[in-house]
Amino acid sequence: MKSFSKLGTVALLAVVALAAGCKKGTKNITPLPGYSGTAVPGNIGTSQPITPITNPVYTGNGANGQPGSGRTLIDENANPAPVDLSGGKGKGDLVGQVDREIIDGLVADRETFKGNTVYFEFDKSAIKSDQKANVAAVAEYLKGHGDNRVAVEGHTDERGTEEYNRALGERRALSVREMLLNLGIPADRVITRSFGEDKPAELGHDEVAWGKNRRGEFILLVPPTSVR
Amino acid sequence: MLRLPIALALLGLTAILHAAPQAGRGVPDVSVSGDATKAIPIAISGFSAETQKVLEFDLHVCGFSIVSPTQADYELKGNPGTQVEGSLTETAKKATLFNRAYPGGNARTQAHALADDVVQAITGGKGLGRGKVVFKLQTGRTSEVYAADFDGANAVQLTSDNNIVASPVWRPKSRSIYYMSYRAGNADIYAQDLSNGSRSAVVRFSGSNISPSPSPDGSQLAMILSKSGSPDLWVSDASGANPRRLTTTAADESSPCWSPDGKTICVVSRESGYPALYTVPASGGSLKRLVTGSVRNTTEPDWSPDGKWIAFTRQRGDYFDICIVSSAGGDAKVLTEGEDPSWAPNSRTLIFARRNGKYGQQRLTLLDWPTGHVKDAARVEGSSSQPNWSR
Repeated sequence: MKSFSKLGTVALLAVVALAAGCKKGTKNITPLPGYSGTAVPGNIGTSQPITPITNPVYTGNGANGQPGSGRTLIDENANPAPVDLSGGKGKGDLVGQVDREIIDGLVADRETFKGNTVYFEFDKSAIKSDQKANVAAVAEYLKGHGDNRVAVEGHTDERGTEEYNRALGERRALSVREMLLNLGIPADRVITRSFGEDKPAELGHDEVAWGKNRRGEFILLVPPTSVR
Repeated sequence: MLRLPIALALLGLTAILHAAPQAGRGVPDVSVSGDATKAIPIAISGFSAETQKVLEFDLHVCGFSIVSPTQADYELKGNPGTQVEGSLTETAKKATLFNRAYPGGNARTQAHALADDVVQAITGGKGLGRGKVVFKLQTGRTSEVYAADFDGANAVQLTSDNNIVASPVWRPKSRSIYYMSYRAGNADIYAQDLSNGSRSAVVRFSGSNISPSPSPDGSQLAMILSKSGSPDLWVSDASGANPRRLTTTAADESSPCWSPDGKTICVVSRESGYPALYTVPASGGSLKRLVTGSVRNTTEPDWSPDGKWIAFTRQRGDYFDICIVSSAGGDAKVLTEGEDPSWAPNSRTLIFARRNGKYGQQRLTLLDWPTGHVKDAARVEGSSSQPNWSR
C-alpha cells in the first residue's frame, strides 16, 4: 500500500483484540435499557426479525487482499488484550474499534457528562484547545470508574450534504476517542457513533444554533448493577 | 402507512425493469449525441387531462418541449376511448411514425408507456416510464424509506423503523434495497427484501456503517465504515461478508458510487482538507483526484449508466448545486440548484432533492441536463431527499 503512504497518510492499525463473545451469532440485538435516543424500538426481532449475523472477519491483508502489507491482523477470535498506547504513537494515529457487543447490557447515562460536550469549528474535526478540558474530565472519570465505558456521539450542523455530514460527525467522534486513548483510556472502553445533521441540539438556522450542533456528546455506559 | 400489496404491485414493475438489459452499455445513446441541448418541439393533443399531464411531464424531462402544432416537429394525437391510444407524426414529412393502443395497467402506466415509445421513435433513446425511485422521507425527527414512480406518483412507505434512516439504494437484479438505519441505536446497514418485507442487518461493526452502494452486478457492496478508526471506503460481498478496506486516509471518506463496468469506485475524501471527488480501483489501489475544474467542495457523486459522466453536488456557502463532469475529469458544469443527484437509465435525466428556500423542506425534482429542463416530482408530505433511481 505504498501508494497510500504517498498521500501522506498515517495508517497504523493497532492490534485490537475483540471482546470475547462476539461470535454468539444467535444473540439478538438488544437495545440499551435507558437509552434515550429517539425511539429505539423495544421489540427488535419480533415483528420483523433481524437475521442475526456473524460479524465478518477483517483479514487485514490490505485493500486488495495482497499479502505482506505489513498491517496487523484483526482476529475476532483472539483473547481480549489491552491496547498498548506506550509505543510513542503520535497524534492522529488510528486505533481500530473493538466489537460493539462490549456495550451489550450496559445502561446509558446521558446526564453525567452533559456538561462535557465538545464543540467544533465549522467543517472541522480537530478538538479546539478550549475544548480539551472536557475530554480530560471524562478521561479522569473513567479512570476512577473502571467498569464504566463511554459512547461518543458526533454531530454536525445542517450545512453540508447528508452523508458527508454523517462521515464528518463520525470523524469528530473519533477525534474525541483518539484523545481519550491518548489520555490512557483503553480502546475497548470507548465506542463511537455519528448522527450527522440528523439530531440537532438546536433547530435554528444561524451561527448560534450551528455552533451548538457541531458537537461530540459523551454517554456514560454503566453495568446495570451500579445503577441506583 | 406501509401497505405491502401496493408495494408488491409497484415492485412487480421494478422486477420487469431489472430483468431488462442494462441501459446504455454498448448501445449508442442517440439522444445525447448530436445537438442534444436543443429541445425537440412536440405538440400533444386529444388525451384525457391526466394522460396529457403524464405525457407532458415525461417528454419534458426527456428533452422535448411541448408546443403548439404550428411550432412542432412532431405531433402526438390521442384517440378518445377507455385506453390510451396515440399516433405520432413527423410534421414536415407528414409521416406517421406509429399508431398504437396501450391496453392493460391504468391510465398513468399506459401514458408512461406511450411516452417511452415517443422517445424511442424520435431519439432512439430510452424513456423513463417504468423507473422507480427510493428515497428518504423525513417527517419531524424521524424518517423512513419510500419508493415511488420517478415522477413521484404512487409513493409507498417501505420501512417502519420509527427512527432515523438514510441512503436507500436499489440492489441490482433483485427486488430489494440496502439502507442505513439507527433502529438498533447505531448507524448500521440493512438489506430489505421488498417481495416479503423481510429485513436483515448486513453490516454492523462498531462505529458508523453508512452510505451503502452496490456494484452494478449486485455482487459487491461499497460503503463507509469507521471500524478501523477513520471513516474509510470498504467493499464487501453483497451479504456484508469479507469486508476489504480500500482507503486508509486519516480523513473521512463518504458517498461511494461505482462505474458501470464495476471496475472503479468514485468516492468523496477530505484527504486534501476539503471534500473532493476521487476514484479508486474497486480491486484496490491508490486514490486519484477527479479533476472538476473550478468547481470545489464536491460530494455525493453518481456515475452515469453509460459511463461517460459523474453527477455530483457542490456546496457554495449555504447553497448546493447539481453538477456533472466527464468521468475522466475536466471542467465540471454547474446545472441547477439541488442536492444528491441520481441518474436515470437514459444517462441524461437526473433526479435530485431541491430545497424550498434556504433551509426549507426538500422535494424530489427531475432535470434533463442537456436541455436544462426541470420538473418537480409529485410531493409527498415531509422532506424528501437522497433519491436513488432503479437501473
